[in-house]
Amino acid sequence: MNKLLFLLLLLGSFKAFSIEPLIIGSKSFSESLINAEMLAQLLESKGQPVTRKLNLGGTKVAFDALNHGGIHVYPDYTGTGYVMILKKNGERDPIKVHEIVSKDFLSKYDIRWSKSLGFNNTYALTVRADDPKFSYANKISDVSGKLDRARLGAPYEFMERQDGYKGFAKIYNLNYKPSNLTSLNAGLMYNAIKDDQVDMIVSYSTDGRIKAFNLKILKDDLNYFPPYQPAFLAKTNSFIKFPHLKAAIESLEGAISEDEMIEMNDQVDRLKQRPSAIARNFLIKKGLLEGSVTKSQKDQGILSFMISRKKELMKILGEHLLLSFVAIICALIVSIPLGVLLTRKKRAAQIVFPIVNTIQTIPSLALLGFLIPILGIGFAPAVLALFLYSLLPLVRNTYEGIKAVDRNFVEASRGIGLTNMQILLKVEIPLALPIILAGLRTATVIVIGTATLAALIGAGGLGDPIFRGVATVNSNLILLGAIPSALLAIAADKFIGLVGNAFVSKGIKLKFERQA
Amino acid sequence: MIKVQDLKKVFKPNITAVNSVSFELERGEIGCIIGTSGCGKTTTLKMINRLIEPTSGKILVGGDDALSVDAVSWRRKIGYVIQKAGLLPHLNVKDNISLLSKIMHKEKNFIESRVEELMEIINMPYAQFKDRFPIELSGGQQQRVGIARALMEDPPVLLMDEPFGALDPITRNSLHEEFWNLNEKLHKTIIIVTHDMDEAFKLGHKIILMHKGDIVQVGNKADFLERPANQFVEDFIKGQVHE
Repeated sequence: MNKLLFLLLLLGSFKAFSIEPLIIGSKSFSESLINAEMLAQLLESKGQPVTRKLNLGGTKVAFDALNHGGIHVYPDYTGTGYVMILKKNGERDPIKVHEIVSKDFLSKYDIRWSKSLGFNNTYALTVRADDPKFSYANKISDVSGKLDRARLGAPYEFMERQDGYKGFAKIYNLNYKPSNLTSLNAGLMYNAIKDDQVDMIVSYSTDGRIKAFNLKILKDDLNYFPPYQPAFLAKTNSFIKFPHLKAAIESLEGAISEDEMIEMNDQVDRLKQRPSAIARNFLIKKGLLEGSVTKSQKDQGILSFMISRKKELMKILGEHLLLSFVAIICALIVSIPLGVLLTRKKRAAQIVFPIVNTIQTIPSLALLGFLIPILGIGFAPAVLALFLYSLLPLVRNTYEGIKAVDRNFVEASRGIGLTNMQILLKVEIPLALPIILAGLRTATVIVIGTATLAALIGAGGLGDPIFRGVATVNSNLILLGAIPSALLAIAADKFIGLVGNAFVSKGIKLKFERQA
Repeated sequence: MIKVQDLKKVFKPNITAVNSVSFELERGEIGCIIGTSGCGKTTTLKMINRLIEPTSGKILVGGDDALSVDAVSWRRKIGYVIQKAGLLPHLNVKDNISLLSKIMHKEKNFIESRVEELMEIINMPYAQFKDRFPIELSGGQQQRVGIARALMEDPPVLLMDEPFGALDPITRNSLHEEFWNLNEKLHKTIIIVTHDMDEAFKLGHKIILMHKGDIVQVGNKADFLERPANQFVEDFIKGQVHE
C-alpha cells in the first residue's frame, strides 16, 4: 500500500514538469459555447494548454463539475447563481446581485466570480411581432388575465426554477391553461413560435433569432426577472495554478455589448457558423488576438459538412469507441462470472436480478446525474453508467444460457470424470455461447447508443455534436453525431455476430438449423 | 472383479432410496439391474460411479476401494454411458470420444490411434465419421459413440444407465447383438440399468431385480423363470414379458 502511494506521488511530481492543461467547461447553448471559446482561445494564445469540456448538460452538471474539480472554469450568469445555486430571490439590482453571488460563492465554495462580460441575458416573454392577438401589448402587464387561449413554450429549466414559471405567472396574473404549457428544448422554441406551434415563448433576451424571426419582447415592467450578467467562475486556487487565467478573464470583462452578443448568437444559431470561429473573429476585431477574420461558411450538404469536420469526427469517434469498448469489456469481465455464479446460487439470483433490472430502468440522464457528485464529470462516470447499462443483458443471457444447457450433458460429463470447472469451461459455456453472444450484441448496441449521452457530462463522444446541434438547431451537426453513431451500432452488432459465430461450434449451428 | 457391499442411500430428509444392496460380478460378466421406476436402480449405479455419495457401504473394483479416493479420479477409472448417449453436441465424434483423455493431457498420438481403434470396434469407420457432429448421427450411431467414449481410457468396469432405452426396437435389437459380441472380445465387467426384462434376459449373465430399495432376487434367466423368489418376481416377469 505504501509503495503504491509512493508511486502515485512520483507520478504526480513528474506530471508537474509538463504544463497542466486548464479545463474549460460550458453549458450546451451557443452563448455559453462562444464565451467559453473566447477564454479558451485567449489562454491558448498565451501558451496555456486548454482542454474543452463544452456542452455540459445544464447548470447542475456544470456547477458540480467546477465545485468538484472536473473543470477549472466556465461561464455562468449572476441570476443563475443567485436563484438556482444560492436559492435566493428578491434582489433585482444587477450590482447588488453580483455582490451577493461573489461574496456567497467565495465563502461557501471558494469560487470567484469575474466581473460581468458586459451584456445582460435575461428571460423575456416573447411573441410574434406581427401577431394580431398581441398587437396591443408592449409590456407583460398588458396581457395579464387575457391568456386563457394562448399557448406558451418555455425552456425545461424555466418551468422548475425559483424565478421561473410559478412566480412569474402569479405576479403577472398569467392565466394560461395547464394544457397550453409546453416545455421545450431552448434551441427549438424559436422555430416553434415562428411556425405558429406556440403563441408565446420565454426566450433569452440575447438570442439572435428574436430579431431574425421578427419576434417582440414584452417588457418585464414589474421587474420580475433577476439580472443575468455573464461572468466566469473559477476556484481561487486555479488562479494560482494557471497564471494566465486572471489576465485572460479580465480582458473579456465588460467587453461584449448586448448587440454584439445577439449578433454572435445569430451567427451560430441561424447561420450555422462554428462557435469557435465566431469567438475567434470577435477576439481579433477587439484586438485581443492576432490574425485575420475568417469568412463565414456557406450552407453545406451533410456529406461535405462531414468531410470538412473530418478531424473533429475522428476525435469524437475515437472517444465514443473508447468509452463503449472499456464499458463493454468491464461488463464482460463482471457479468460472465456473475451470471455463472447466479446459476449456482439460487438465493443470490433472487437478490441480484431485481437490482440489475432496476438499474436498467433508471433513465440514463438521471443515472449520469447521480454519478457526478461521486465521480465528477468526464470519462469515469460515463464509463460507469454505460457499464451498469450493459450488465443486465450480459448477466441475464449468461444466466439463461447456462440454465438452458440440457442437464443430461452436464450429468454425462460429470459421469465420465470432468471437474465442475471443466464442465463449465468445456461444456456449459460452449453450449451457452450463442445466447451469451446475443446478450453481448444487445449490450453493445445499448452502450453505443447511450454513449451519446456521455457528452452531457463532458466525456465527449458522438453525442457532442448532437447536443450542440440540438441547442443551435443545426441539423448538420446533429447528423454529424447521429449518423456515425447509428452506423457504429450496426457495424458493431454485425462484427460481434460474425466474429462470435466463428467461436460457436458447427455442431450447435447444425442443431439450430435443424430446429428452424 | 466388482464387489458391492451393503450399499445404502438415505436422502434428506430421511427418504431411503437404497436400503441395502450387495452383489458381485466377475471379469467379463454383465449384470443387469432391473426394477420399476423408483426402485433405486439408478441411485445404485450412480453410487458406484460416485455421482451420488453412498450413506454407507463399500464398493470394491479389483481390490480398489471407491470411497478411499476422490470422486473425480474414481469416475475417470470407470466407464459411464447414459441414455441418449449424452454426447456433447458442440464436439464432433472424435472430440467426444477423446474428451477425457484430452483433459488428462494424454499424448496426441496415443489419442489419435486409440480413437481410431475404438471406432473400428464400434463399426464406425474413422475417416468417414470422425468429423461428424452428434446431430449428424442416427440414434444407434450416437449410442455406439457413447460406448466408445466410455471405453477410451480402457476402464475395467463399464456402467450403463438405460443405454438402449431411447432407440427404436429394431435398432435396439441389432445393437444388443453387437454389444454382446463386443464384450466377448473386450471382457469388461458391465453393469446395465434397465427397466426392460427382455433386455436383461438377453444381455445379463446376472440379473439383479430391485424393489423399494432392496434386492429381491439375483440370478440368471433360468433362475428367474424357473425359480422366482416370490410372487412379486413372478408378477414382474409376467408384466414385463407380456408388455
